[in-house]
Formats: sequence, C-alpha cells, structure tokens
Amino acid sequence: MRFDEVVLAIMRAVDGQRTVSSPYHLIKGKKSGQTIQDIGYFGLHPYFAVLPKLDKQEYLASIDRLQTQGYLIPDDNSVKLHRSAFDLEIPSTPLNGWKYRSNENRFFARLSLVVQTMSNFMQGQKRFDPVVTDETVQMWAKAYLNRIDFRSPAVQEAFKNQLESSLALAKTTEAHKDILMERLSGYGVGGLTWDQLAMEHKLLPIDVKIAVVEAVHAWLDVLEEMKHPMLAGLLEGIVQTSALTESAKRTQNLAERGFSLKQIAELRQLKTSTIEDHFVEMAMNDPAFSFAPFMDEHLFESIKHISKELKSMRLRDIKERLPEASYFQIRLALAMRGGVT
Amino acid sequence: MNLEKLLYDAYGYTEFRPGQKQVIEQVLAGRDVLALLPTGMGKSLCYQLPGKVLPGAIVIVSPLLSLMQDQVAQLKKMGEKSVIAINSFMKPEDREKAWNTLGTYKFIFVAPEMLVQPYVLGKLNALGISLLVADEAHCISQWGFDFRPDYLRIAEVLPKLGNPQTLALTATATDKVTDEIKHYLKLSDPFIYSHPMDRENISYDIRKFENDHEKLEALMNLVAEYGGPGIIYAGTRRKSQELAERLLTLGIRAAFYHGGMEQQDRIFVQQQFANKELEWVCATNAFGMGVHIPDIRHVIHFQLPSSIEGYVQEVGRAGRDSLPSLATLLYAAGDERLVESLIMDDLPERHEIELIYERGEEAKHLIEQGMMRETAYRIISYWRERLPLQGTLNQIERLKIEKQRQAASVRGLVHSSGCIRQYISMSFDQKNPSIPPNCCSFHGIDHSLFKGNRRELKASQHGSWKERLKVLLPI
Ligand SMILES: Nc1ncnc2c1ncn2[C@@H]1O[C@H](COP(=O)(O)OP(=O)(O)OP(=O)(O)O)[C@@H](O)[C@H]1O
Ligand SMILES: [Mg+2]
Ligand SMILES: [Zn+2]
Repeated sequence: MRFDEVVLAIMRAVDGQRTVSSPYHLIKGKKSGQTIQDIGYFGLHPYFAVLPKLDKQEYLASIDRLQTQGYLIPDDNSVKLHRSAFDLEIPSTPLNGWKYRSNENRFFARLSLVVQTMSNFMQGQKRFDPVVTDETVQMWAKAYLNRIDFRSPAVQEAFKNQLESSLALAKTTEAHKDILMERLSGYGVGGLTWDQLAMEHKLLPIDVKIAVVEAVHAWLDVLEEMKHPMLAGLLEGIVQTSALTESAKRTQNLAERGFSLKQIAELRQLKTSTIEDHFVEMAMNDPAFSFAPFMDEHLFESIKHISKELKSMRLRDIKERLPEASYFQIRLALAMRGGVT
Repeated sequence: MNLEKLLYDAYGYTEFRPGQKQVIEQVLAGRDVLALLPTGMGKSLCYQLPGKVLPGAIVIVSPLLSLMQDQVAQLKKMGEKSVIAINSFMKPEDREKAWNTLGTYKFIFVAPEMLVQPYVLGKLNALGISLLVADEAHCISQWGFDFRPDYLRIAEVLPKLGNPQTLALTATATDKVTDEIKHYLKLSDPFIYSHPMDRENISYDIRKFENDHEKLEALMNLVAEYGGPGIIYAGTRRKSQELAERLLTLGIRAAFYHGGMEQQDRIFVQQQFANKELEWVCATNAFGMGVHIPDIRHVIHFQLPSSIEGYVQEVGRAGRDSLPSLATLLYAAGDERLVESLIMDDLPERHEIELIYERGEEAKHLIEQGMMRETAYRIISYWRERLPLQGTLNQIERLKIEKQRQAASVRGLVHSSGCIRQYISMSFDQKNPSIPPNCCSFHGIDHSLFKGNRRELKASQHGSWKERLKVLLPI
C-alpha cells in the first residue's frame, strides 16, 4: 500500500464527516477522544499510529497529490472525495496499527541491534558502533542476547533459520520484505536510508516507510502464532494485552470498582470530558459494555435509528434531530454500534 | 605515576600524541587546563585517562546531541562501561532511571541546557565531581562561528557546583576566543597547551571558476579522477541532496547527510561510509565536529564555508590517520554572495527579537508555525533574561558585524595570493607554520599523489531479502 492509498482509504471511510487533517492525526496515533472513537465508528483500526513521526509537510504533500489527481476536492470544512476515489482499487493491507500501537518500532530496533551484534560476532568482530543508540534498547538487547546464548553457533543458526522461515510466512509482498531487510545492518553492511530505498525501489520515501510498517506488522502476526521461545522473546511487551490506552485502562479499573464517571474524574483529577472519552473507548472495545448507567434503552435505540436513517455518524446531525440526547450519549451509542477491535 | 603504562593498560595505545601527556599531567595535578589541540589529535583522551585515576565523576558538557552520542559510543567501544549521556530528548522514565543510578557512572555527558536545571545541579552536586570538561569550548564565544548561548550558562552554574576543576577543549580558537573561554569558565591560573592548529598532512587546494556551471563540471571531474573516501560540503541541505544525486547518476557511490534526516538514517550513512560502501558523502556542516572516520582522504568544499573556523573544523575530518590528504575548495565568481546571505539569514531579525520580548516562552509556538527560526529563538531567549530590548538589538548588531568580518576573512582565503596554510594560521593568531611538501596550491601540490586511487568498493547488496539475510548472518 502506498501512503496516498492509506490516506485515501481513511478518507473513503470518513468522507464528508471529518476534516482533512483527521487522517493525519489517526496515522500519527493521536490519543484524543475524537481520534480513538473514530477508529471504532469507521473501522479504521489498521491505520492507527502507523507513522508516529509523520511530518505535517509530508502529509500535506500527499493531500496535494490527491487533489492534483482529482480524487480529493479542495474544501475547507471536511473531506470531500470525487467519485473516482471510490472506484479506485486499494490493495488489502496487513497493517494492524490499533493492535501494535507503534510498538513495532521497538521490536525493529531490538531486532536491528540483535542482528548487528550476531553478524559482527559471527565474523570475529567484537567491537562495533551500535546501530541503535537508545540506551533502553541497548540494555534490553544485551540481556536478550545473553539469555539465548548468542555466541553459540547452533543458536546463531537456529536464530537465522527462524528469521527466514517466519518472514517467509508473513502475508506481505516479497518487495516489502526486501525493503524491510535492507533496513537491517551487520558486519560491513550498513542499513539503507529511506531516500536510498526510495530511489532503489522507485517509490517515494514515505511509501517505503509504510512498506516497512506493513511488512513488520505482517511478520509480527506470524511471530505471535509461532510461539517459538527464541523469536517470541523479541516480542516482550510489544503486543498489548488490552486494546485500551493506558489512561482508559485506569478509568476502566475504577469503573469496575463501582465509581461513577464524576467520581472518577475527581479521583483522577481529570476533566469529565476526558473520562467520557475513556468510556467511549471502552464501549468501542468491550462487547459486554453496558450503556445502562448513561441512558435508557429508548434513547439508545433512537440514536442508532436516526444515525442509520441519516446515513451519518456526524454528532451534530443527530443532535439536531434528538436535542434531548447529550453529545456524550450519542458518542457512546455510536461507539457501541461499531464496537469491534 | 607511569602514565604510559596507564595509557597502555587502559586503552592499548603505546604512546601519547603531542600535547596529551602535558595536559593530562596538569589535570592530575589539579590545575585548570585549556587545551588547544588540532582536530583529530585525541582531545577526548585528555579526560578519558584522568577518569581512570580521579576518584569522582567526570562531567562532560557537549554542544550537540549527535556529538554526545558519538562520544558515548566511542567510550563504550573502548571498553568503558560506566558512561551515560543525559539530554532533554530522553524519555522521562529513562531520565529518571539515569538520575537514580547516577552515582554508578564515571563519565557523565550532559547537554548544556540540562546543566542549568536546579534538579540536575542538585544531583550532580551530591555526586562529587572530580573534573568538569567543556568539550568544543569555543562554543562559549558569542562571536564565534558556533555560538551556543547555553554554553554561557556553564559559567553561571560553576559556583553552584562548588567551582570544580575544569578542562576546556577545542581545536579552533583565536586569541580573542581563548580569552573568552578563560573569562567565562573562570579558569584560574590555567595551564594552557596550545598546539599549532595546522594539520601538516593536509594539502590545501583552491580552484576558481567563472561560473557555477564550470564549478560543477570541475567537481564531476574531481570525483572521477581522485579517489575517496571523501566528503563534499555543500552550503544547504538541498544542495547536498542534489550533488549526491548527480554523483549517483554517474555511477559513483554517494549519499547525502544533513541535519534534516532522522537520526537512524544519519547513523546508516555514517556506517556505510565507515564500511566503505560509499565513496563520497555530500553533506552540510552537520557532518562535522566530532565525526571520526580515520581514512578520509579528500574534503571538497563545493560552497564557501561561512568562517575560517568552520572551514578548519570541516577540513579537519580528513587524514585523521596522519596519511596525506587533500582539501579542495571550489569557488565560482560570486559565491561569497551566497555565503553572506546564508549568514544574514541565520541572524535573528528585528521582528523576531521583538516578538520574543513580547511573548516570551509562548514565542516557541511560532517556530512550529514557521514564523521564527529555532536558532534565533535560542539566542534571543538567552539574552531576554539578561538584557532589555535595546541591549539585545545592539548585541545582535555587533554579532552581525562580527559575522561580516568572518565572511571577509573567508573571502580573503579565496582571493589572497599567498600560501593558504599561512593564511589559516594567521587567522588563528599563530605564528608562521613550517611549509611541508605539497603544502598548498600556492606552493605547489603533486596531484599524482592523490589521483587515481579510487578504491575497490564492495559490490552492492541489492538482492532479495533472503540473500541479504545470508550476507548479514553468514552461517
Ligand atoms: N595516544 C593515542 N594513540 C593512538 N590513538 C589515539 C591516541 N589518542 C587518541 N587516539 C585516537 O584518535 C582518534 C581521535 O580522537 P578524538 O576523537 O579525541 O579527537 P579530537 O581531538 O576530539 O577531534 P575533534 O576536534 O574532531 O573532536 C580517536 O580514535 C582516538 O582513539
Ligand atoms: Mg572531540
Ligand atoms: Zn603553502
């Protein structure tokens, strides 16, 4: 998937209902209530936080291209796509941003250092400049390497074989795997920069960045299944057990202990609106979530009904028809409809 | 104490380089020291070795994040384990951990802006500092080419640290800058070691052209005839990118390097260069201070540097293995105009100064909106705490004059008709250097020395991922 296709895929989902910068926040992984709830409403899980370091200029360049190509119609208020944008074939993607939450970067940093270390030791080089300067990753890698006894040729061979066989199973293109491997370094072999990769593969730098994320996500999917101790070790702390953000998890704990929304806001010294965001997030993620404390059955059904009738997820449209409902109630009801992870 | 034995035992070097022993002896004798040693002579050793003897911590202040990281990596590579770098880019949890275990580290690198924070000061104070090192100490000079206002803050915190013994290191200081260093770092009766800045193994060549087109053609011929490994310095990021692309289309292995790239990519380029996967790196001055790759044979300036000091720093990347190396400066008529506009672009403008005085901290947001340059903000917010508006305006005016003086001395480098080596030494208030063979284009250079040694590069690895994996992990 090229970067422009990622942007288009998001835009097709939110067409007419969100601003042109909303895909940007989603791709960067902004943890605001709006972004998080949109993921559920519109089924945007794959794209969350896939490029946390995305530069605004790079995003604007993509918008520019989409407008020039006629897919996107310039509009100050919201995303307005041309019909042709819906006819476009967008390839399916192994991206799974909501699950990995940018943690693939930590995984890849560990892997880079582990491969570089093995590569050097295998070839008799015990001193080298580490390709990753982050102290935490360095310490982690050192402990990991010792744990697997990386100096043993048998371990090295097993490690390499497992890398190869697992990556072979990853559901992504060979070209993406090539790019991913070129980001790794070893003895006498430096990783390639984004610009070098872009030139070699005749893509934009931003496209090779997405390609690596796709390949790593696909690979992580395989590694998680394999449950082999050696490579599984690299996943330590990478895959979150709960789909909730850290802060929402804390709110959830308090809610389970019987505290009300207001009490939680006071206890945590956070704005009520923030805690509301957390409940929306819980509604989105927890199939057993109950709306009962917040509205009666009748109101819930009305919101769902009107949303369907208007074919809109726009809070304002619904509020106009149902003034008695609060924005929070509307958001909650809509979140439950989309409620999958 | 037998320092030679200590040197060998600690780092495996059999002898000191000129100046190192004198400096280290004085440091161990408890004196403040200012060491002026040329680029690549081994200034770092002047605090590394004392670290093996002194009881307390060595705190090193370093101007650039990348420089700090390089030095930490270098120390670790030399087998030193108790090294840590503390900077404002660390994740809060990492920083907290670092603070709590600070006592276990011997070498502590700190960014100057961290040093002034009361919390940091408290932690360092509790620790017992044996030696405070100001690396690249010329950054303290307000008039210098590389002024970092945060360096002036070192002076302010010295008393709060109980005025520890201080070692100042630099490769590029005029008499004026030397005085400033002494003054601001409050060096009391310091031992000053000053080695000639001149690097004998570097031959200086200057070539002049009528226009840009000819200059570019000359560069293409140079890279075809002369071997790398080399650096081509361009004035701007865009230019560095452009030049790299040109070389690539000629089938020459090149990459660009500048401050706008993410850190991982910059590490990759450095590694490829060190691995001999690249012949040329086209760079801005971000690839300078502290870069240590021993066998760089050729440094080419495609655009005029903005000061002689900067020029010496950049040229100083060449020949760090002491073997003959070439520094070529390419000049096209009118090039000084570009430099002058770049210099002026760097200076804070009146409206920026006024904005920062009006809005204070808030003005920071203007950086993101592209209405204010980061460097301007850094410099002005320093002065804002100390001077009224008019004072700062005067200060910047003086800075402008100084920058123009530096630009003029670069013009002099190009247009004076004498020995280039002599001109450079003179700019540093040093006496006439001796003239080595192949001194400069004025004294004559035997170019056959440098020509045609294009080295064999490794075949590039552009196979499938499986093939690359086999290269990375050959079993
Ligand atoms: N006595 C010695 N014998 C052999 N090698 C040495 C000696 N002292 C230092 N070196 C090596 O010289 C190289 C350059 O040293 P260093 O980085 O300290 O230079 P520097 O003077 O700080 O240069 P710069 O001004 O560019 O920062 C290092 O690789 C170091 O290990
Ligand atoms: Mg140095
Ligand atoms: Zn000469």
